[in-house]
Amino acid sequence: MEKQSQTLSQRMFRALMRVLPFDFRTNYEGEMEGVFREQQREVKERGGALDALRLWRETIAGIFTMAPREHWQILQDDCRYALRMMRRNVWFTAIAVATLGLGIGANTAIFSVVHAVLLRPLPYTQAQQLIQVRQTEKKVGVDDLSFSVQEIADYRKQNRTLAGLVEYHSMSFTLFGHGEPERVRTGVVSANYFELFGVQPLLGRTLVAEDEKPGAPAVLLLSYEYWKNNFGADADIVGKTFEMNDKVHTVVGVLPPVPQYPDENDVYMATSACPFRSSPMHTENRDMRMMEVFGRLKPGVTVAQAGADMATIAAGLRAAYPKYYPGNVGYAAEASPLKEELTRTARPTLLLLLGAAAFVLLIACANVANLTLSRMARRERELAVRSALGAGRSRLLRQLFTESFLMAMASGLLGLLLAYGSLELLVDFAGRLTPRAREIHLDAGVLLFTLGVALGTSLIFGTLSAVFSRANLTSSLKEGSAGAAGSGRRQSRVSSVLIVGQVAFSFMLLIGAGLVVRSLIKMQHTDAGIVPQRVLAMRTTFNWSKYTDDAASKVVLQKLLERVKAEPGVVSAAVSSRYPFEPEAISDGPEAVSFTFAIDGRALEPGEALPVSTYAAVSPDYFAALGIPLKAGRLLAETDREKAPLVAVINEAAKRKYWPNEEALGKRMSPDGGQHWGTIVGVVGDVREFGLNHAPVPEFYVPQAQNAQPATLIVRTVAEPRSMARALTRAVHDVDPQTAVTHVLTLEQARYESLASPRVTASLLGIFAGLALVIATAGIGGIMALMVSQRVREIGIRMSLGAAPARILQMVLSRGLLLCGLGIALGMVGAVALRDLVKSLLFEVPATDALTFAGVGLTLLAAAALASYLPARRAAGIDPNEALRAE
Amino acid sequence: MNKKRETESFLPLTPAMFHILLALADGEKHGYAILKEVARRTEDKVRLSAGTLYGNLARLESAGLIAESGKRPEVVLDDERRRYYLLTAFGRDVAVAEAERMEEALVQARVKKLFRKPKLA
Repeated sequence: MEKQSQTLSQRMFRALMRVLPFDFRTNYEGEMEGVFREQQREVKERGGALDALRLWRETIAGIFTMAPREHWQILQDDCRYALRMMRRNVWFTAIAVATLGLGIGANTAIFSVVHAVLLRPLPYTQAQQLIQVRQTEKKVGVDDLSFSVQEIADYRKQNRTLAGLVEYHSMSFTLFGHGEPERVRTGVVSANYFELFGVQPLLGRTLVAEDEKPGAPAVLLLSYEYWKNNFGADADIVGKTFEMNDKVHTVVGVLPPVPQYPDENDVYMATSACPFRSSPMHTENRDMRMMEVFGRLKPGVTVAQAGADMATIAAGLRAAYPKYYPGNVGYAAEASPLKEELTRTARPTLLLLLGAAAFVLLIACANVANLTLSRMARRERELAVRSALGAGRSRLLRQLFTESFLMAMASGLLGLLLAYGSLELLVDFAGRLTPRAREIHLDAGVLLFTLGVALGTSLIFGTLSAVFSRANLTSSLKEGSAGAAGSGRRQSRVSSVLIVGQVAFSFMLLIGAGLVVRSLIKMQHTDAGIVPQRVLAMRTTFNWSKYTDDAASKVVLQKLLERVKAEPGVVSAAVSSRYPFEPEAISDGPEAVSFTFAIDGRALEPGEALPVSTYAAVSPDYFAALGIPLKAGRLLAETDREKAPLVAVINEAAKRKYWPNEEALGKRMSPDGGQHWGTIVGVVGDVREFGLNHAPVPEFYVPQAQNAQPATLIVRTVAEPRSMARALTRAVHDVDPQTAVTHVLTLEQARYESLASPRVTASLLGIFAGLALVIATAGIGGIMALMVSQRVREIGIRMSLGAAPARILQMVLSRGLLLCGLGIALGMVGAVALRDLVKSLLFEVPATDALTFAGVGLTLLAAAALASYLPARRAAGIDPNEALRAE
Repeated sequence: MNKKRETESFLPLTPAMFHILLALADGEKHGYAILKEVARRTEDKVRLSAGTLYGNLARLESAGLIAESGKRPEVVLDDERRRYYLLTAFGRDVAVAEAERMEEALVQARVKKLFRKPKLA
């Protein structure tokens, strides 16, 4: 018992000692324990339990008050020493910090995007409960069918899993009463839209149920940005009135600066205020679809349950309205988390880039590790001497870790600066992928990440130095040069492994970048099917409330075209509901402008899907203005008027898909279940409407005169088209001064812009791969130089035994190339294994593209040859006599 | 002059340090002996714990005020190997300087009649 309690208190005392630095313990632990034991014995002799407690209290307090000072002392010593060593090896330090800094910077930058876009919850109350509801027609390839007014009512009424269901669509209206007529992007939403998302107004109120009642006074809610930029953040804005759609709209509130989803809008109005949404055409027709639908899950309900609920409702609708949901389209409904919806396009690109950045950091780490190893070889003596002078091993390890820690912190700081500098560029880049881009900043999470990465790297090469020093410390003093030679071999083996790894990772990165760049080049050289030079597109939005019926709008469009064609310098002019590379068309995809139709005389097999195609309403000169060639039949003509027989021109993709082995001309089709029939009168060339990387889809061109649609003016000019913009705007205003002219863009600009996202991805990957190549090449060069300097004696012997300098040159070169070749082989395996990661970003280039693989392999070999050549030449130039004498 | 400045850079000593130097003034001692002597001399008013004792010893040693004695410990009842510490000449200088500093302060306190009579004549 006695013995046991003694060992217990001894154990407790030893545990207490652990708070002291190792060195201190090594020095004094035994003695302190002895003193403590004496004290305890004394207390026991006196026999006071209180005394025993007091002894413990004083002992604990004593150790805890002195421990920080001891630690601090050692840290100070280490830092001072480390800084001295870093100053003494300025070049080593600079190269290591720069290399790691680049790696950490790349990671910090990409992580800040990943963090904001993919990791952080959406900035809404209980955002995980928010879902998007989607209708699909899988059999005709439609993943995201908009909702009609009646469908929204059905889903709202029948669902059992949602606490709320709101609708959204965005339109552009012209706003009067604030200077020039202004086109404003307007979000048209349910009254409880903002309540559902949990957004509180900055000023005034959001929309309430009263606002949505038919005939309610029209009200507007301003977005924070619009309020700030266009009204100078006027605090008295609530209550001001504007005219829109021939109605007075009163501002009732301003939104806070939250990111707006799904689109950025200038203003918001209730559904009843939208002239289209509230028109009988929309309220009475189940298939007039243009809304998106969001919901909030009831507490405890999962997304899957909500999805099943929506699917049940869809099944009910299919049964109740077979006319609108024919079996051959495969109508259904599903629910998915809102966050997933908003980041869907961004995810693969961002993860790929994060992976690439991680590769760069790994390569940088390997390089610094190699630098560290070669420096350790030189410091071996110094460390051995210090060890012999009484520095404990752990003291030395702590010293080495302090050095790598300081270096990593410096690199981390550099990395942060680099990331900070590139932030604006990144936000711009991410903006093309997700509406969450504006949430990107370097916040605490990113700082923590950077700190973690820096600490991780310091741990990696700190450990490496430590392992290396542990292996060698004891031997090097005792055995002199023999020990050093042994450790040199071991070190060069480790270095070789690191080099092979570096080359392998560089190879994979270069392959990724090479494939993406090749895709980009292919895209750029893809024939879009139009002649984009000297074409200007400008969206012209009439004050629709003035042109209430089809006839009136057709007249004004006709007048507009006549006026524009009269303008000097205009070759041809047309109006169209959309045009190739229109940014909105690209982001919305072909589904947004698709329709299903029946072909005259062709019965569908049971379960066969209805034919589906995109369409555009164009005026006759559209083809001439864009340079779309006629392949068969005729183009649309001025004679295809409202009262004339309905006609359509199709593209070759539609011909291939629906009339592959027969004449399409003269065939009839109906978009509305047989109420109206149109005749195909011509076939034109395919156009890559939805981006160069998007294969042409079937397309129907119908006359604007027979299907009036909101229009964009398309003008082919004699001279540089942008110089005509002002004159053309004047021409539009001559016809109707209340017309807003926006989105003025040349088709070449639109084409260029359409490639912005792949271009940025390719540039970023290219930069990463370039960095990797430079770092790896420098690594090979460095390690070959080290090898040569370590083997001077051996080379000297070989030469004195008759080896020709050319033989030596070849020996060093082939060693460098061998390491590189091994790395390439490994990298090839890796690149093939990882091919799925990059696939989604490629365009007409296979992920295992032989040309890219060969090109990258040759580049790396050439770089390795170049990097090994200088050390090899040095080796070949060694004078055997001197080399032997030097030892 | 230089030496004096070096000595004074340690002043004022903490009470614990001063008492440790005092304890070593009349001969080398091991840690526990120092602790006992300080407690006895101050009638238990200055109680050093193992931690404060060795923390101070470490600092005094690295500053060169004390040193480890070459004398090896005899094997005592417990088989603990003790180290003995001695006051270096420099340590003695510092202790003297500290005592002088205290005396000076004392004299001034007396001039200001801050205390009655010296306890020890």
